[in-house]
Amino acid sequence: MTRPNTGELQPEEAPGAELKSYAVGLLVSFLLSAGAFAAAFSELPTNWKVIIICLAALLQIMAHLRNFLHLNFSGGQSREDLLLVMFSVCLLVIMAGGTWYIMSDLSGRMHQNGADHAMERPAASQGL
Amino acid sequence: MSGQSSPTFGNLDWEVTPYTDLLEHVNSSTIIGAGAASVLVLGAFAGIALLTYMRWWKPLFRDWLTSADAKKIGIMYIALALVMMARGIIEGLVMRAHQATALGALDKAETGLVAPDHFAQLFSTHGTIMIFFVAMPLLIGLINFVLPQQLGARDMAFPVLNQVSLGLTAAGAGLVMVSLLIGDFGTGGWTMYPPYTGLDYSPGEGVDYWLWAILISGVGSTLTGMNFAVTIFKSRAPGMHLMRMPLFCWTSLCVAIMLIYAMPALTVSSAMLALDRYAGFHFFTNASGGNMMNYANIFWMFGHPEVYILILPAFGVFSEISSTYSGKRLYGYTSLVIASMSIAVVSFMVWLHHFFTMGQSAGVNIAFGIATMIIGIPTGVKIYDWMATMWRGRVRITAPVVYLVGFFLLFVIGGLSGIILANPSIDYQVHNTTFLVAHFHNVIIPGVLYGMLAGVHYWFPKAFGFRLDESWGRRTALLFVGGFIFTFMPLYVLGLMGLPRRSPTFQDPDFLPWMYIASFGAVLMLAALFCLLWTFWKSYRHRMSLSVPGGDPWNGSSLEWSTPAPVPEWTFASIPKVQARGDWGETKRAGDPWRAPDSYADIEMPANTAHGLIIAGMAFALGFAMVWHIWWLAALSFFAITAALIWRGMRVIEPRIIPARQVEEEDRRFREYVAGATPITRADEESERNRGVPDCSEFAG
Ligand code: HEM
Ligand SMILES: [Cu+2]
Repeated sequence: MTRPNTGELQPEEAPGAELKSYAVGLLVSFLLSAGAFAAAFSELPTNWKVIIICLAALLQIMAHLRNFLHLNFSGGQSREDLLLVMFSVCLLVIMAGGTWYIMSDLSGRMHQNGADHAMERPAASQGL
Repeated sequence: MSGQSSPTFGNLDWEVTPYTDLLEHVNSSTIIGAGAASVLVLGAFAGIALLTYMRWWKPLFRDWLTSADAKKIGIMYIALALVMMARGIIEGLVMRAHQATALGALDKAETGLVAPDHFAQLFSTHGTIMIFFVAMPLLIGLINFVLPQQLGARDMAFPVLNQVSLGLTAAGAGLVMVSLLIGDFGTGGWTMYPPYTGLDYSPGEGVDYWLWAILISGVGSTLTGMNFAVTIFKSRAPGMHLMRMPLFCWTSLCVAIMLIYAMPALTVSSAMLALDRYAGFHFFTNASGGNMMNYANIFWMFGHPEVYILILPAFGVFSEISSTYSGKRLYGYTSLVIASMSIAVVSFMVWLHHFFTMGQSAGVNIAFGIATMIIGIPTGVKIYDWMATMWRGRVRITAPVVYLVGFFLLFVIGGLSGIILANPSIDYQVHNTTFLVAHFHNVIIPGVLYGMLAGVHYWFPKAFGFRLDESWGRRTALLFVGGFIFTFMPLYVLGLMGLPRRSPTFQDPDFLPWMYIASFGAVLMLAALFCLLWTFWKSYRHRMSLSVPGGDPWNGSSLEWSTPAPVPEWTFASIPKVQARGDWGETKRAGDPWRAPDSYADIEMPANTAHGLIIAGMAFALGFAMVWHIWWLAALSFFAITAALIWRGMRVIEPRIIPARQVEEEDRRFREYVAGATPITRADEESERNRGVPDCSEFAG
């Protein structure tokens, strides 16, 4: 098996171990995908479905990084790996959080979501 | 298109070409449509005939299409971009000519050169082509050519993946080209907003052409981003610390990161729209819970970083040429690095400014408006750095410097109009007018286009061994500057007068004078294009007197100037050991820069392969089949791609070994040439005496 990120061989680990890590990753990914589909087709309340699917997705991302991309926080490259992961998380938070911020504001003003917050404020100001 | 879909040919039939329209009604619009299709067909035939007549098929296949050499791949990207640019500029001229003849009245049908629907196809293809198949291939090509050489690497980290990326980009470009002859292109602009582009309002094949061109080339660009990033992180020469990299490498790193994180957003929004159109989903439809506003949201999550993907390499080029052509060290290296990185990160936080008017609350708009204005700061820092670099330098007014000065003057105007637009309340007034069209052309043309053309001019001798003619280069640059001013400054005025963008007609005769000026400018732009081609042709004819075998025609300071021109396949006879920032310059200052390496070793190069070509062909077939609903072909090509990937993954592939003897022989010959040539001073740079061997004693920067 090669050391993470170097292409240098690590003699103490046999190719078998590498194969095993890939196989585990594949199996875990498969189970998590199947779980997400099962949740989608199940009778659970929608909120639960969304939570389960998101969780499965997050776990699967971690499995990919660990088992397929050999991300490793204890080797010689750990600092670089950590930086890259933090940078990715940062950008993903910006994108996902921004979407949440924008779309919930828009849907509030479209009087979706049942509660019409956006309506209430102008009405109140009219009363003054 | 008939209502029935055949199992063999899908929705294809004989009625899809523009010639059918021409037979039905003869007018200027159908004539232009059929004319464009004919140019495509005749151009293709002429190309085939030329290749056959010159017996170039074999060299083309052996030396270029199957090559995994990043330098050649870069050159092919740029060639693709120039072909597409010809179409894009001509379309721009046709649109300008149309609007100059489109004054109408509310109670009459639209008049003008082309029909309204044809006009809509023109701005949609023009925008799509210019962004995805001109600007992107130009910068990806330039980075491919320059980056490994500047880093002191032999090649990209993944040479064959690089070839596949090029193939996917070309397949996407091919789809847009084929839409000239077979069927129509979409009419939703380069952004293709639903619900208009959903099945209900755009049932034909047009939007699908866009979708598949974008999906396929988008995968290619994502892979390119990964390739660049890995190359920069893993393949630098020994001693090339990050803070020793030339600035072009830094901006390439920013581009790589942004490609990796931004392109997937485009793939997602396009894939969701494709699901709506092909599989009955309701992501963006009016009915059944669709939310078309989310398309704008996801699209611009890609779209804004994209504009900085386009501009950052140009910033890199300008950093290199401002320093080289004024014979000075780059001023404020660290500040330029920090500014580039800040731009890359902040550009992910501003995407909402493209839809200020979509209806969100003022607070949301303000947050993104402020973030947008912040980007102006690092950009301003850069402009000052470049000006300070040139300050009191020995500036030579070469063609790249003309581009640079044009960029200074015009880009600042474009940037300022951007800051104006970043204010949501102003944006409400001018959004969707030609003021916006003027703004983005004002940053794209003086920024991206000038930057890339300047870069092509600057590195051309490295690629082909001879310089480009400076007089014609300067003329081209001046025409692009003048053409830009005449074409787009009037659009600011028209926008403030209230002309909506993308309008095939208007009723106010006061618009006309400005329209005429803009059309004149578009003619100048076309002239600039011809001038550019003429520069290439003329320089090719005089290649003997322009040749610079010494390889350092501009007295540069980064590693790529230490090798012969044209640069050999293996780039460096032995990988340099980097001691300083601007290592080649430091070596020159220390004297005797052309010392031969102590020993030569065998060099391993990636073997030629048709892998990229096969994937490109299959990807094109997949896209075309999906557009026309030819399901069997789609399935076939999809499995063929998968099979090709697996097959290559299973095989052991031997690299090609270049024996040390051959390397040594060529390297010796180069060093003897340099030793025998007369070094020239900067004042002689443009004369025939410039053989690429500069006078090192003059090296101050
Ligand atoms: C060279 C001369 C050029 C001319 C004469 C030209 C002309 C035009 C015109 C007339 C439009 C339509 C404006 C409207 O909607 O009212 C347009 C749109 C556009 N152009 Fe250009 N252009 C040129 C170069 C470029 C370049 C170099 C780029 C980018 C690399 C570019 C990117 C775009 C884009 C993205 C659109 C928007 C398309 C849409 O509305 O979806 N153009 N151009
Ligand atoms: Cu933007």
